[in-house]
Amino acid sequence: MSPHELPPKLQLRDGSTLELEVFRPEDAPTLQTFYRAIPEEDRLYLKEDVCQDAWAQRFATRVAEGAIICVVAKANGVVVGEGSLHRALHGWMRHVGELRITVAPDWRRKGLGRVLASSLVKIATDLGIEKIMAQVVEKQAAARRIFQKLGFHQEAVLPRHIQDLSGAKRDLYLMANDVSQIWAAMESLVSDYSPDQGA
Amino acid sequence: MAKTQIRVGGLGGQGVILCASIIGKAASIFEGKHSTLIQAFGPEARGSACSAQVTVSSDLIGYPYVKQADILVLMSQDAFNQFAPTLRPGGMILFEEELVDPSKVSLPEGTKTFAIPATRFAEELGRRLVLNIVMVGFFAGVTGLLSFEAVEKAVRDSVPKGTEDLNLKALRKGYEFGRQQAGC
Repeated sequence: MSPHELPPKLQLRDGSTLELEVFRPEDAPTLQTFYRAIPEEDRLYLKEDVCQDAWAQRFATRVAEGAIICVVAKANGVVVGEGSLHRALHGWMRHVGELRITVAPDWRRKGLGRVLASSLVKIATDLGIEKIMAQVVEKQAAARRIFQKLGFHQEAVLPRHIQDLSGAKRDLYLMANDVSQIWAAMESLVSDYSPDQGA
Repeated sequence: MAKTQIRVGGLGGQGVILCASIIGKAASIFEGKHSTLIQAFGPEARGSACSAQVTVSSDLIGYPYVKQADILVLMSQDAFNQFAPTLRPGGMILFEEELVDPSKVSLPEGTKTFAIPATRFAEELGRRLVLNIVMVGFFAGVTGLLSFEAVEKAVRDSVPKGTEDLNLKALRKGYEFGRQQAGC
């Protein structure tokens, strides 16, 4: 059983119903099918070439290692959206996770991206991740709004950092959410009385 | 129902007071009983020790101080050394098994002991901070004094927004382990 709890059924703004599942390594080919159906101009904004056969195996390995936690949304068994949390298991950035969200064109503007993102923010805080990052291209205004609503703020802009299909250079926004504050309140609550602290 | 006197003890930072507060809140607000909570200060709270006293009763409680506890919930060796000998004969001790060696103390006659690796469970869930909530679940599971529903509501009502899910997982983990240990 997955250690991450998700609502079994999800109703979107337009009334359609989806299933949310934590992805298993053996499901990687299904995810690749989903990505291959995404328009090329959208795939350009993904950090990896998800159409390569080797990608699915690499992805599955990283899921098995725990370096990626992936949540998929399915409509009648077909993947229509994917969100993943990428994290370093060792090293100086082990407190940081990166969120990546992709939704099939027909399923956009229904609130699915926000559900995937909020589910992963919750999973990230449960895993002890303190800072969650997201990378958004300047023209992805809807994605920026979703992250802002979830508490992300713009931490940096890398000017002309990526290149689109036409060869135009685009700014890349680095957005961050310091979720350590959520647990700071809990830390304060369990601090108890200590004579060293005064009261 | 007879009055049940409970003492929770441990180190500052283990969430001793929150643990006791949730037990009291579950009993009074969510199960309709009466309860009182006293936090130990002064000479009792020496070093980094921390303790709290909870009394639960179906009747009004006239005297809130715990003289001889029926149940001890102990999360450090110091707390065990200090409070275990004061337990009522035939009473119950719930303790953090990786932080406490019970063989160092002579226990009152008929003492029933129940151990849980609460810190390890909390770390496995992702945050050491929730060890006190694991202990609350363990308390409910072993003693049967409070229903799971009541402690669940008390936890939801007591922890900061955004931390509920992990805290409830910790509660469930402690509760289920407690039910196993109690042979339920």
